[in-house]
Formats: sequence, structure tokens, C-alpha cells
Amino acid sequence: MISGRTRVLVVSLLLLCNTLVANAQAQEQPARADEWGIDQLMQELAGTERASARFVEQRFLKVLESPLELTGRLVYRAPDRLEKHTLTPKPESMTIEGNRLVIESAASNRRRVVGLQDYPVLWGFIESLRATLGGDLQTLERFYRVELDGRPGAWRLSLAPRDRQMSDFIRLITITGAGGWISKVEVHETHGDRSVMRIYGDTP
Amino acid sequence: MNRHAGLAIGIWLGLLLIAAWSITQARFTADLAAFLPRSPSPAQQVLVDQLRDGVVSRLILVGIEGGEPQQLAQISTRLAQQLAADDAIAYVNNGAEDQLQADGEFLIEHRYLLSDAVSPQRFTVSFLRKALEGQLDLLASPMSMVVSRVLPRDPSGELLHLFDRLQEPGGPDKRHGVWFGSQGTRALLLAQTEAPGFDIDAQQAVLERIRAGFDAAAEEAQAGDAELKITGPGVFAVASREGIKADVIRVSSIALALVALLLMLVYRSPRVLLLTLLPVASGAIAGVAAVGLVFGSVHGITLGFGATLIGEAVDYAIYLFASTVAGSTPGKALQRIWPILRLGVLTSVAGFGAMLFSGFPGLAQLGLFSLTGLIVAVAVTRWVLPSLAPAGFSVRTVDRFAPRLTAVLDVVRMLRLPLYALVVAALVWLILPGKTVWDDELASLSPVPESEQKLDESMRRDLGAPDVRQLVVVRAPDRQAALEQAEAVSAVLGSQPRRVLGGFDSPSLYLPSERMQRARQSALPGEARLRANLRQALEGLPFRGNIFEPFFADVERARKAQPMRRADLDGTGLALRVDSLLVERRGEWAAMLPLRDVADEAALAQALAGFDQTSVVLLDLKRESNAVYKSYRARVLTFALLGGSAMVILLLVALRSASRTWEVVVPLLAALVVTCAILLLGGTLNIFHLVGMLLVVGVGSNYTLFFESGEVGDEGRQRTIAALLICNLSTVIGFGALSLADTPVLQAIGRTVAIGAFLSLVFAAILTEREPV
Repeated sequence: MISGRTRVLVVSLLLLCNTLVANAQAQEQPARADEWGIDQLMQELAGTERASARFVEQRFLKVLESPLELTGRLVYRAPDRLEKHTLTPKPESMTIEGNRLVIESAASNRRRVVGLQDYPVLWGFIESLRATLGGDLQTLERFYRVELDGRPGAWRLSLAPRDRQMSDFIRLITITGAGGWISKVEVHETHGDRSVMRIYGDTP
Repeated sequence: MNRHAGLAIGIWLGLLLIAAWSITQARFTADLAAFLPRSPSPAQQVLVDQLRDGVVSRLILVGIEGGEPQQLAQISTRLAQQLAADDAIAYVNNGAEDQLQADGEFLIEHRYLLSDAVSPQRFTVSFLRKALEGQLDLLASPMSMVVSRVLPRDPSGELLHLFDRLQEPGGPDKRHGVWFGSQGTRALLLAQTEAPGFDIDAQQAVLERIRAGFDAAAEEAQAGDAELKITGPGVFAVASREGIKADVIRVSSIALALVALLLMLVYRSPRVLLLTLLPVASGAIAGVAAVGLVFGSVHGITLGFGATLIGEAVDYAIYLFASTVAGSTPGKALQRIWPILRLGVLTSVAGFGAMLFSGFPGLAQLGLFSLTGLIVAVAVTRWVLPSLAPAGFSVRTVDRFAPRLTAVLDVVRMLRLPLYALVVAALVWLILPGKTVWDDELASLSPVPESEQKLDESMRRDLGAPDVRQLVVVRAPDRQAALEQAEAVSAVLGSQPRRVLGGFDSPSLYLPSERMQRARQSALPGEARLRANLRQALEGLPFRGNIFEPFFADVERARKAQPMRRADLDGTGLALRVDSLLVERRGEWAAMLPLRDVADEAALAQALAGFDQTSVVLLDLKRESNAVYKSYRARVLTFALLGGSAMVILLLVALRSASRTWEVVVPLLAALVVTCAILLLGGTLNIFHLVGMLLVVGVGSNYTLFFESGEVGDEGRQRTIAALLICNLSTVIGFGALSLADTPVLQAIGRTVAIGAFLSLVFAAILTEREPV
């Protein structure tokens, strides 16, 4: 509880070669294109080895008069490492690898290490992004009822928490993307707060 | 059989029955604390109490190994559920639940009384402003989801501060939601019994239920290979009692069988064999009964001594029967040998009796047991045996080998010079510096096998249970005073820099004294002031102004609340922590403040110097326990020397001759020196070797005494020597069997006495001057 439930929401950059491989597969099996669904999306997402991107996150909180804006970088490395480096308003970084969450705050010079299994809500929350990035449908379904809308070029995943404890905090998470790319993560909290994180690829 | 004999037998049987009945009423223990001093210093008292029934003594560490992690986790979960429902178990945790999270509601409710950050400054405009800015940072952090919810109730961040303060450092890894150690191959569970560690019967019952619970859970998880590993002080106590019991049975059987065989060869009469064992049996029963009556419970180690008594008390009967000349009666023989027999018993009693006054309950038990046993054995030999012996009995075997034995002795006497040389060499070697003589670890007294101790260490490491070595103990006449004093000490400890002290725990963290709670209440401002201050503090910050009503309500409620009492903590993890750190003992309260990472003990002692040194004690458990052990050893040594001196005085008085006393004492001293050297060649000595030496003096003195003052006359002397040899063999058999015991204590004593007693006889044979016959 102390280390809280994060609002990590991240994204990944599909490496060029992965896109190419995916395209190649699509070309080989044109007849199956109309059968696109969650399995295909996950397979495509799972192809990502490494990704790094900028993010801009807005938090609409009931306790604040105006939204809070955070900017920074997201880094993902398959299979289970996710980093969120917030640069403004306050430098802070979170690194998740396996079951460990490390939070480092440059301003207060503090470092916390948290076992995800001690904080099931936080864990589930982190998996909404990490398991999506890794194309790990099994883990996603362990925590959420998963629904997919749209088409390969513009899709939206809706994640509704299964666990009672978790749904005390989170009502719904939606992840929007195109192909193997995630562009937006929206978190709707149960008591009305909301956050939107947009993810931008690095301009070459 | 005359009237006196009949009366004697009647009294004997009557007393025997009473003793046997009282044994059935006795409680048997095996706790190590019995071998700790009875009137220790205040610091030592804390240590002894902790060992006996502190929370530490109630911990049971459970490991589940040998299966798929998933299965182990399932077993752990099931077992934890069962134990949680068990009334004999106060607390169980397998990591499935975070205690602090579970206590969340309680902490929120009582945060203003619990938080040591509450002070009048905390609610001023500038402090509130700073706190709100901090909250703003947190809203931009991963914790925002929680912070944004709590913020309206807690803008000053009291709850977060409490969590930070109460969070325990470390803790084991988790897999499948439960604690795992040993690189993920062992699921871990921690239980605390209601019964103290020294209540072995209760501990044993709990252990049996844990085993049964594990079996059921393992079957449910279909994990046939899963294994249960249990450790902890209570487990050790149960295991050592079982171990001692097994040892006592095995050792006594071996000793009894071998002694019986020896006596059968000598006597060739089953009846006399049985008669010889009568004094021993009576002595053992009387000894156990006496210990039970005086001490209320009988220690397992004391029972272990039953075996040694077989070796020693049997001597009296042997001496009697071997001295019975053909054609005479045991009664006549007794009249001849009684004075010397009596003196022998008295010297032994002087040796053992010293232990009675040693101040250590365990050792005093050994003393009382031996003393009672010997007196009863000799009394039975004196008043009961003669009338029960078959008429016309004499030990013919002795007639045959006694002359040959005497011939051997004459040859042996030529070894005097080499023996003196040996003794001097041993003495010089003993005195030479550069070797470790004493094993000064209290742990060396532990009857627990090393492999079990290793398992215990590894599970403790896994659980990240901080090995509490140093703590501050605060003593006070009542609970509130103890808490207040603990708060004063906490203030000093809290102000120490990291290079002195890493951290500490205190019962006052979980249950502040009432005075402290009232001080915190009076630091909370009235509602109007609080509203005004917060309004001012919010200026220019992006918070909505109207969300903080719950905060005003909470502060107002806290201002008017009754101070928390211990009972209010029931059902929370805080209760457990308070109870383990704040204890009542004999009408006095002790608060314990365990210290973490003490880097500069001198500076810490300096910082605490302002407190009354009798009520605030900085304690190093390891050093203290080893100090206890050392002082214990020194006292045993003192009492051994006193016992020895009493014996010498007794001999001087009885023999009325310094030179004859010298004759008796010299072989004994030589035997002690050489025994010491032999034992040291095989390792270091501990306290039980010392107790063994005391026994050597008690037993060996009889041999040298009988040798020196044996009957006059060629045939008498020959018989004396033969009887002594048989006595000695039986003693060596008794104690030799004891050295086969697995219990280190019994083994040490057995080895020492077997060697010492044998050497006493041999040396007496070599060194005793014999008048020309």
C-alpha cells in the first residue's frame, strides 16, 4: 500500500524488423486476414523485443482544480522489463522486472523496492501494460475481462478488473493502438479520477 | 531374619512405595534454562526470561520442501488456515497477508495518537503548506491512486508516516503469494505458540498438530514427496527431551546388561546379582523422587544420571559380597567394612553435595539426585542386604583370582616413576599457553545436534528474522511507566546518526503511553484554528478547497478520543508486537527495544548514560549469554574445589593422619590431571566435563580410600583388591555406556568419568604405599 498503485502506463515501439515480419506473414496468408482477432493482436505485440518512447500523461483528479501533466520516457524490454522515467514535474523512475518494482526519486534521494506479490492491485495494474506489451493474453485474462474492438490498423482493448479488491480502485482500462503499436492508455478509476497517457514514437 | 532386619525391610519397602508414587506425580522437563543461574544480574534475568518464555522461545519456524512450488504454496496456505484456527497458536503467518495492510483501518482511525510526528508545529500554516506540497509530488508519483483517496482525510500525511515507521525491513521472497526461501525450494511459515517454550508438553502437542496438519495438506495437494521441516526453541526442547529419554533408556539398558553379565561371571548366583542391584534401584528411585519433591520437576539430564548411579551405587553391594569370606555371613563382613564404607560414602557426598549450593537449578538437581541416591544405596546395603543374602554365600571366584591380582600389583608398582613422569608431563602440557581449553559458547550446552542447528539458522536467514543481538531493556513498576521510559529512550535512539545506529523498534511505537497520547491530543488544534490554517496553507496550490471536511472531522474526533489501551489493539498485528516487546514478570514490567545495525556501541552507551543504569540497560545478548556461561563455569569450578576441600577435611578427620590422607588424594589428583589432558587432546572442555571431574573425585576417592585402608591381612587385602577391581569395572561400564549417548551433556560426563574412574584405580594401585605384609 505504501508504494501505492502505480499509474504506469506505457507503450512500445515496434521495431522495424518486427513490422516487416508481421507484414510478411500477412502477405503469406491473405485469406486469413478477415479472421483477425485477439490472438493475432497478441502475437503481433509479442514480437516486440525492445521499445522506447516518449509519453505525456494527464491526470484528472477530483482533489485538484486543474489536471496534472507528467512527461517522460517509457522503455520496454522483452519479456518482462518495463521502465517509466518521469522527467516533469518531478524526476522519478520506476523499474519493473519480474516481481520486483523499484521506485527511485531523484528529488528526495529515496529508493524503494516492492514485491509485486505483496500488492495484488498494483501488480494487476502493471500487468495491464506489461502483459499487453508482451502479448501475454494468459496473464491479462488472469486479472481482467478482455474485450477487443476495431481492426488491425485501429484497435482498442478494454480491460475490466476481475478481482474485487482491484475493482475497488480501477473500473476500466482502455488501450488504443495500431498494429503492434500502442498509442494511448486510459485509466478510469472507480471513484471518478481518470488518467490519459499518450505515447509518441521517437522522430528519427 | 531378626526383628530389626524385618523392621528395616518394612521401612525400606514403605519408603520405596512412597517414592515411586511421587515419581508418577513429577513433571519432566529438558529446558536448557535450568542450567542457567538462579540469581543473575538484571541483564542476565532478561536473557534467562527470554530463553524460558519470551516470544522468541515461542516461535516455531516451519519449512515445506520437496515438491513443485505450486504444491508447496498450496500446502503452506492450507496449513496456515488450520493453524490460525488452533487455540494453542497465538499467531501464524505464511506471507499471504501483509499485516500492515490488514491493520490499515486501525492505523487510519488512530493515526493522530500513534504518530510520533504529531506536534503543535505540525498543524501550523507553514508546516501544512509543506505537507501539501509533498502531497502534490505524491500525486505525480506511482502512489497517486492511493494518495488521492486518502488526501481529503489526511493532508498532513500522517498515515504515510506511520506506514514508513512501522514497515519492517527485509522479509522473505514470495512465490505464489506465500513466503519462500532457500532459492525458492522451501515454503516458509512462522507460528507462535500460546504456551511458553519451556512447557514441553504443550509444545509437543502443538508440534504433533502441525505434523498432522501438514500430512493432511500434503495429501490434499497430492504432493507425496513434500517434507516438513520444523525448528525453533520449542522444537529443540521437545527433541532434546525425546533424545534424552532415548539415551537414558538405551544407556541404562546397556549398562545394566553389561554390569549384570560381569556380576554373574563373578557371583555365579542370580539371586546375589539381583540383590546387588537392589541398592542401585532403590537409590535411583529415591533420587528421582527427592528431586521431584524439592524442585517440582525433574530435568531429563538428571534422569541421565540414573545410568551413572548404576555404575557407582552398585559398588557398595559388590564390596559387601566380595568381602564375605567363605563360611562367614555378609553381616559379619559388613561389621568389618562398614567404617570404611561409611567414610567412602561421606567423601562422595561431600563431592556431590557441593553441586547443591551451586545456584544453578539444573546442577543442584544432579547434586541432590546423586546425594540421595548414594545415601539410600548405602543404607540399603547396610540394613537390608545382609538379611536377604543366601546363607553360606561367598564369592569363590574372588578366592581364585585375588592372589594372582596381588601378584600383578607388585609388578605394577614398578611403574611409579614412569607414572610420576607422565603426570608431570601432562601437567606441564596443560599449563603451557596457546591452546583453547574452554568452549565458552553457551550454545555448546545445547543438546541439539549440529545439523538441526544449521537448519534453524538457514530458516531464520530465509525469513529475514533479524537476529536480535543488541537491545535496550527498560524496567519499570507498571506498564505506563515502562512505556514512558521507552519513549524517553526512543527519543535518544531516534536522534542517533546512522553511523551509530541503523534503527530500532519499541513497544511505544505500537502503544504509546497514555501521557504521550494525551500530549499528542493537546497538540491537535481546535477546528476553527485548523480550518483557518489550512485555508491559508492552500493559497496558490491547485487543490480544491472544499474537499478537506473529513480531515477536520478526523482531527476533532482524535482530540476527544479516549487514549488507546492494550485491549484496543486486540486482533491487530500491533497487539502481537506490543506483547513481544513489553512483558510483565514478577510484578515488574520490562520494555525491550531491539536495535538494528549498531555501528558504534560506545557512542550509543554514551548517549544512554543519562538514564538510571539500573532501569535502562544496553544488552548484547550473545556477549551476555557467553558471560553467563563463563561465570557459570567459574562457579562450578569453585564448588568443585569446595567439594574437594570438604572431602580432604573429612579424610583428615576420619583417618587422623595427614600422610594417609595424602596417600588417598595423590592418585586422585594424578588421575584428574591425566584425564584432563586426554580430554583436551580430543577437543575443548565444557562445563559438563567439569561436572564429570567432580564425579571422578566422588567416585575415585572411594577407590583410593579403599585401597589405602583396605583390610589388614594377606587374604583381606587380596579380597579388597579384587572387590575394587570389580567395582571399578562396573563403574567404567556404567559411565562408558553413558559416553555412547547422543546427548552431548551425557556424553561429556560419561567420557570424563569412565576415563577418570579407571585411572583413579590404576593410579591408586601403582602409587599407594603398602605396608609389608
